Amino acid sequence: MAELQGLGAELSEAERAGVEIVAISPDPNERSQKVAEGLRLGYRFLADRDLAVTRRYGLVHPGGGPDGRDVPRPATVVLDRDGVVRWFSVSRNYQVRPDPADVLRAVRAL
Amino acid sequence: MTTDFGAKGSSGWLAALSVGLAIGAVGAYALLLRVAIVRNHPEGYVVAFALATALAALAVVRARARRWPAWLALGLSSLLLVAGAWFNFVVARVPEAPTALRVGERPPDFTLPDAAGRPVSLADYRGEKPVVLVFYRGYW
Repeated sequence: MAELQGLGAELSEAERAGVEIVAISPDPNERSQKVAEGLRLGYRFLADRDLAVTRRYGLVHPGGGPDGRDVPRPATVVLDRDGVVRWFSVSRNYQVRPDPADVLRAVRAL
Repeated sequence: MTTDFGAKGSSGWLAALSVGLAIGAVGAYALLLRVAIVRNHPEGYVVAFALATALAALAVVRARARRWPAWLALGLSSLLLVAGAWFNFVVARVPEAPTALRVGERPPDFTLPDAAGRPVSLADYRGEKPVVLVFYRGYW
């Protein structure tokens, strides 16, 4: 969960600025909710159980999970009020996430 | 005699430095995982293990009487180097592929259930507020 923790504290600033943070993973809903409560984050968690949406976005890492399961490629996308992509980042190493400062910069530039 | 003694001393010192560096790198990475600059430079621990291996090799070369600390340091650091490099450059690598994301364009719309089971559409936010979408691997 380091990926969400890393974003958490700093992005709460974006939340206060009226930006909705929508976190998508194949996790079941109850689990995501627990994670959010544990981190005390106001994220909106959406469950993409079969990775259908993740696949439509071209963000599946085939066989990248435990037991060779498909998992999402870690990605962060900033959309403006009109739903247009203004900035995005897709990890090439799953240990690496976008720097929250870069995400915030993109949010502030909207 | 004097040089022998000095060499032995420096070997033990180098071996200790090697082990300290290798274990310190593991600890620092684990502790500072939330710090973006540490998390986003995982090759840092590989470099630290390589440095620890070089120090241990030097310790082995300089060892005179008591050789085992140097060999132990070399074993530990080279094991960590191989494991760390394999993890960082092979296991954790995410293959690149084209995405549906283009700056200046709308991404595909979707509807997914939220934590309470209510359907949420990306289009719901259009004209309402900006959105940061975070795709993540999940909690496993």
